[in-house]
Amino acid sequence: MNIRRADQFTFWLFAGPALAGFVAFSLWPMLYSLWLSFCQYEVISPPRFIGLRNYIHLFYYDAAFWPSVKVTLMFTLVQVPLSIIAALAFALLLNQPVRARGFWRAIYFLPSILPQAAYAVIFGYIFQGDGGLLNRLLALVGIEGQPWTMSSDWALPVLIAMSLWAFGYPMVIFLAGLQNVPRELHEAAHIDGAGAGARFRHITLPLLSPVMFFNLIMGVIAALKVFDLAYAFSVTQNMPPGGPARATLFYGLNLYQQAFGFFHMGLASAMAWLLFLFVMVVTVINFRFSRRWVHYEN
Amino acid sequence: MLSRLRDILPWLAVVILAAWGFWWAGYDRKPDVVDGRTEITWYVMISPLRDLYEADVKEFERLNPHIKVRIIWVPGSELNAKLKILAAAGQLPDLFFTGDVWLRYLLPFKRDITDFVLRDAEEMGLDDYFPEILAAMQLDGRYYIVTESMNLSLLYFNRRLFAEAGVPEPDETWTWDDYVRAGQALTKPGTPGNPGVWGSSRVEGWWGEWIIYVRQSGGDIFTADGQRCLLDTPEAINGLRFYLEKSTKHGISAPAGFEPINGFVNERVAMIVGGHVNYWLNYNQKADLDWDVQLLPAGPVTRKGGELAMAGYSVSKTSRHPEEAWQLAKFLTRPEAVARIVARGSLSVRRSVAEAQMRDARPGDRPPNLAAAYDQFQYGQPIPRHSHYIEILLQIVQPEIDRMLLGEFGPEEAGRRAAEAVNAFLATFHAQQ
Repeated sequence: MNIRRADQFTFWLFAGPALAGFVAFSLWPMLYSLWLSFCQYEVISPPRFIGLRNYIHLFYYDAAFWPSVKVTLMFTLVQVPLSIIAALAFALLLNQPVRARGFWRAIYFLPSILPQAAYAVIFGYIFQGDGGLLNRLLALVGIEGQPWTMSSDWALPVLIAMSLWAFGYPMVIFLAGLQNVPRELHEAAHIDGAGAGARFRHITLPLLSPVMFFNLIMGVIAALKVFDLAYAFSVTQNMPPGGPARATLFYGLNLYQQAFGFFHMGLASAMAWLLFLFVMVVTVINFRFSRRWVHYEN
Repeated sequence: MLSRLRDILPWLAVVILAAWGFWWAGYDRKPDVVDGRTEITWYVMISPLRDLYEADVKEFERLNPHIKVRIIWVPGSELNAKLKILAAAGQLPDLFFTGDVWLRYLLPFKRDITDFVLRDAEEMGLDDYFPEILAAMQLDGRYYIVTESMNLSLLYFNRRLFAEAGVPEPDETWTWDDYVRAGQALTKPGTPGNPGVWGSSRVEGWWGEWIIYVRQSGGDIFTADGQRCLLDTPEAINGLRFYLEKSTKHGISAPAGFEPINGFVNERVAMIVGGHVNYWLNYNQKADLDWDVQLLPAGPVTRKGGELAMAGYSVSKTSRHPEEAWQLAKFLTRPEAVARIVARGSLSVRRSVAEAQMRDARPGDRPPNLAAAYDQFQYGQPIPRHSHYIEILLQIVQPEIDRMLLGEFGPEEAGRRAAEAVNAFLATFHAQQ
C-alpha cells in the first residue's frame, strides 16, 4: 500500500462514519424534503406531485404564513441587537478584575443552560394578567396591569424579554474576544490621553468586531428559527400555538404545526425550504456588509 | 478512468451504507409470537388512570394466556403526532386511543370494526351504551371506535359561593338571562388583599365555550356537508356576541387575559359553562370544594348545543392481529372497567354503570346532582365531523375570536373574518390539492 492509498484509507476510516451519518440524517432528509415541497403529502397516503401549489398556497392563500413571517422578522430585528448589546455589556463587566470573577461569570451564564420550557413557566407567572408578579408590583404604585401574555400587543415583547435572559453564550464568546484585545494598545492609548469611552470605541470595538459578527450571524439564524420558547409559552398559557391572535406565531412554530399538528408535510417542507433560502440570503448579505465594519488583524 | 472509479467508490460505499442503515432502522423485526404468545401493541395516553390500565392489562393477559400486550404510553399533547409518525414508519399500534373528534381525521388508520361489533354485540353489551354514544361510535353507519369515556358540556357551579351571595342555585329551567343575573350577583370586585370573585369563567383559546352559545343561538360552524362556514350568519354572531359581552356588557367574567388560573378550584369563579368531566378528578381532590352541576342554561333558540364527545379505542387498519386487538378493546370497555373509571370521577358511557352510579351515590359525593348531568345527554351535540375540524378551529377561527375578545373588532367582524378565512381554506387548500 503506497502512502497516497494509505492516506485515503485513513481518511475514509475516520471520516466514513461521519459522512454516512451526514448522508443518512442530513443530506438525504434535506433532498427528500425538497422533493416533498412539490408534493401533497399528509403521511396517510404516498406523496403526490403537485408542482408549485404548496408555494402558491403559502404566498397567496394561507392565513397563517404572512403573520408568522411578520412575527419572526419583528422578533429578529428587536431581539438580536438587544441580546448582542446585553451580552457585550455583561462581558465587559465580567472582564473587570473583580473578586470571585469566575463565580460571577458562572452565575450570569446559568440562565443559558435552563430549558426554554422552564423560562416559559417562570415568566408566565411573572406576566400573568390575574395575580401575576408584575401586575402586583404595578398595582403597588397605582398602575393598572395589563394582560401581558394574552394581549396581541404585549405577548411578543414578553417573549423578547424572556429570550434576552439567556445571553450567556454570546457573552462567553465576547469574553473570549476581550481576552484577546492586547493590553498594550489600551496602555498606549491611555498614555496618549484617550479616555475609557474613546478606548472602547477605537480599540475594543474594532478588535471585537469579528466576534460581534459571529454573534450576529448566529443570533440572526437562531432568531429566525425560534420554536421551543414560543411553543412552551403557548402550552403554559393554555392557548393554541401562536396565540393570542397569532401574536406569537413564529415561523418555526407555524412550520411545526403544519408538519406535526396537521400533517401537511408537503406544505411544511415548502416552508422549511423558504426559511433555508431566506437564512442563506440574510447570511450572504451580512457577509457582504461585514466588509465595511468587521476588522480582521491580518 | 480507473482512478476516477477509485474516487467514486468510497462515496458509493457511503451511500450504500446509509441506505442500508435506513432499511435496517425501518425494517420491522417484531416477531409475531413472543414466548409462544401473540404480541399486540396498545397505544394509550398517559393519565391518572394509568394504574387501572396496567391492572387491566395484567388481568387480560391472565384471561388470555396466548396474548401479550405491550403498552405504548404517550403524553396527551403528542397523541396524534406520534400516531402519525408511527403510521409513516409502518409501525401503527394494533389498538390505539382516540376520540370522535378525530374520527374522520384519523379514518385512514382505522379498521372498520362493524363485523366485530355486530358479532359480539351481546357479549359486549352494545345495548348498554347510551344511544347518543352509540351514534358517536359510528360514521356513515359503520363502527370505528369502541367507547370507554366521554365528555358532556354542563353548567358547573360552586355551592358555597351561591349560598354566601344568597343566590338560588341553578335549576333546569335556567336561561341565559338567569345565568347573567346570577353571575352579576355573584361577582365581587377585588380589593387589596382579596382578589375577588367572578360570577363565571370564560374559556378562552379554544372553541369549548363559544360553540355552545353559537349553537344555542341557532347557528353552527359548518353547513351539513361541511363545505361552507356559517360563522357569519346572524345566529352565530348572536352567540359570539353573548360570549364577548359576558365581560364587556354583563360584567360576569374577567376581561380577556385576566381569567384567574384554576379559578373554579381556587373558588375565584362561581360558574363554568361547558367544562370537562376529566376535571372532576381535580375538583374532588380539593375536599372543601362544594360543587355541583346542572343542565346548561337554555339559549334564545334552544337548550341544545353543549358538546357531547367520547373517547375510546380503534383497531388500526394495518394490524396483523385485529382479532386479538378487538378482544383487548372489548375488555377495556367492559362495564366493570368503565365503572372503575367512573368511580374516580366521571360520567359513564354505559347505562348500567350510570344507574349504579346514581343508585349507590353516598351523601357528600360530588357532584350531588348526577341526574342533571345524565339529563344533559339529550341536549348534547357532537362536534362537526369535519376531517380538518381541529385545524380550522384552532388555526383559522380562533385568532379571529381572540382579536374580538381583545377588542380589535366586534362579533360581526369576527364572524365575517372567520367565515371568509375558513371558506378560503376550504376552497383553495383542498381544491388545489
